[in-house]
Amino acid sequence: MRSKFDEEMALLHRELTQMGALCEEAIALTAQALDGDRGLADRVPALEGEIDQMERDIEALCLKLLLRQQPVASDLRQVSAALKMITDLERIGDQANDIADIVSAIEAVGQGVVARLRTMAQAAIHMVTASIDAYVCQDVDRAKKVINFDDTIDNAFQEIKIALVEHIAKNPELGEYALDQLMIAKYFERIGDHAANVAEWVIFAVTGVHKGEKL
Amino acid sequence: MSKKIFRAILLTAFVVLLTSFVLVLLSLYGYFSEQQGIQLQQELSLAAQGVELNGQTYLEHMGNREYRLTWVGGDGRVLYDTQAPVDSMENHGQREEIQQALASGAGASSRMSTTLMRRTAYYAERLSDGTVLRISTDQVTVLALLIGMLQPLSLLIIIASAVSWVLAGKLSRQVVKPINALDLDDPLSNDIYEEFAPLLRRIHHQNQQLTAQMKALRERSDELTQITANMSEGLALLNDRMVVLHLNPAAQTIFQTDDGCEGRDFLELDRSTEMSRAVQKALELGHGELRETRNGREYQFDVSRIESDGAVIGAVVLAFDVTEKAAAERSRREFTANVSHELKTPLQSIIGSAELLENGMVAQPDIPRFVGRIRTEAQRLVSLIEDIFRLSQMDEEAAMPRETVELLALAQEVCTSLEPQAAAKNVRLAVSGSPSPVSGVRPLLYEMVYNLCDNAIKYNVEGGSVTVDVGLEGQNVVLSVCDTGIGIPPEYQDRVFERFFRVDKSRSKAIGGTGLGLAIVKHAVKYHSGHLCLKSTPGQGTTITISFPAAGPTI
Repeated sequence: MRSKFDEEMALLHRELTQMGALCEEAIALTAQALDGDRGLADRVPALEGEIDQMERDIEALCLKLLLRQQPVASDLRQVSAALKMITDLERIGDQANDIADIVSAIEAVGQGVVARLRTMAQAAIHMVTASIDAYVCQDVDRAKKVINFDDTIDNAFQEIKIALVEHIAKNPELGEYALDQLMIAKYFERIGDHAANVAEWVIFAVTGVHKGEKL
Repeated sequence: MSKKIFRAILLTAFVVLLTSFVLVLLSLYGYFSEQQGIQLQQELSLAAQGVELNGQTYLEHMGNREYRLTWVGGDGRVLYDTQAPVDSMENHGQREEIQQALASGAGASSRMSTTLMRRTAYYAERLSDGTVLRISTDQVTVLALLIGMLQPLSLLIIIASAVSWVLAGKLSRQVVKPINALDLDDPLSNDIYEEFAPLLRRIHHQNQQLTAQMKALRERSDELTQITANMSEGLALLNDRMVVLHLNPAAQTIFQTDDGCEGRDFLELDRSTEMSRAVQKALELGHGELRETRNGREYQFDVSRIESDGAVIGAVVLAFDVTEKAAAERSRREFTANVSHELKTPLQSIIGSAELLENGMVAQPDIPRFVGRIRTEAQRLVSLIEDIFRLSQMDEEAAMPRETVELLALAQEVCTSLEPQAAAKNVRLAVSGSPSPVSGVRPLLYEMVYNLCDNAIKYNVEGGSVTVDVGLEGQNVVLSVCDTGIGIPPEYQDRVFERFFRVDKSRSKAIGGTGLGLAIVKHAVKYHSGHLCLKSTPGQGTTITISFPAAGPTI
């Protein structure tokens, strides 16, 4: 009975890692699409579908574990943290898809604040990768770094917002494009938030403390 | 074992004690009853004689004896009894011993009391007058005897048990002690019961076998580790559930992990979906491959399934570093594209000019200009083809005749031939240094110095200067070409030695040249096992320093 439980916990860990890897791939693709290789954006919706499917699978697995094995202590934390994490990961997938949508629709690629967006995309990728790394290694320090890094990405968003306001003031004809870029920046900022959430749940799974509170 | 021996000894002691006790009891009882019987019979015959002589008076004067005498008449009626009044007694005619005595003259029988605790023995004798005299006495039965002895007997048993308990414990410990002290690592050294000798020999033999097998196993695994440790390719062994069984050091570097990764999920080491897909594919179909970048280098990953008896037991991932190969492939592709482009450009110009001339579209005074263009373009084509030819010759690494070349003289020779170009651009050309012989291929070295100086003049500014310095520096001959030209931006400094690379593509046409000069220089330096160093500051000038091993006496 116990070995079955261990096996299922290992499966959960594996599936979650895989889901994280898919998210990483999705946002890496959107970043590349933003860099000019716009054909890559077409591959994101399929990935997004895969991520959604994984969310449902992992959810089912978690519920099955909760019902049949009644895990306690750290095992219970792992399962409940997994349940929360998949929601965030799924949102990351959604947002990557939204960015890909915008990127494949806009025309004037390469203008405005593309360079800053690129840095922001790299920061978002870094956060997602680091949060998945933290999960894989169950590493609280790494998770804390991810959470602290969220400020960097928030600041980057603020800067982009200001830059875009100036941009619109100078080139009113590119207003729509600028708004699209703002959306993209916002989505990257949201991805950063979700990555930070994932990191929070990693800390909870390891220590039992969520956002400084003992749950 | 000692418990078992202890129990056996104890049990044996008990059984021996009990059986000997019972046997002694029975035999003694039998003996005493027999003796008693004989004594009774003697008493009976004495009493019989007495009764024959004196009749009832004898019996009456007998007094109280430990036995009882009964005189029974021929009809069974009791005539006299020494212990009971005659009237109360029934007819004894049916008693077994009386009947026997009546019939044969003597009779005997014994009867148990109802409690089984006493037994009465009877002996009877027929007297001459037909009456029977019977003697009887009570005996204690075996059971009564036993019960009577119960107290001393139990005492005896307790003492015997205690003694045998202690003894058995001691004995069993003594028997077991040497067995416990057996040295199983060296079974033959034990001096113990000879019954153990075959077992010990067997253990010794198996010990030897085990040691040999362990050694062979360890050697094999060491061998594998050694071989894989020295592989420059990354090697990862996974089981059928993608758990890492082994990673060689190269693979640990690629996946940025350490020895602790064994037993972990491969997905934790490498999350790339392409990679998991390749491994999945290999586990399902037998083979998978992908090319991906890790830590800034490009790797070719080959994944193969491992099967044993038709069952999939895992997968092996081999990673080859293909960075150089990929770069070479890329530069070859670029080179081919460049060559075609570079060859086509002058030809287009020639064809254009020729067509205009052919159709008489060119006015008479312009004809020399057009013909001149055809000539210069053809000249350019020739020099291009010559350069390509020379490069491909060097690519082939064909052996060329080596000789001792004096580099200073060579540099002076080059500068003399470049004097017109320098003069045209108003660039001062100077050669300095000491004679420095190197062993090398003269045409190649000439080409090298020529290209360097040619570039130094071409990319110079009006009134600039080019200084060529040749000299010995330790074991090396060092040649440096220093100009005061336009310089090379830092981001292009690595690329100027690439074939057809031009820093400023727009100006290349005006300056001329094939874009192969520095590529030839690089190859020539490489051919002579030299070392090339470029220092440049945009707007200030460029210094290219080349060092060769000096021509030793052996060359």
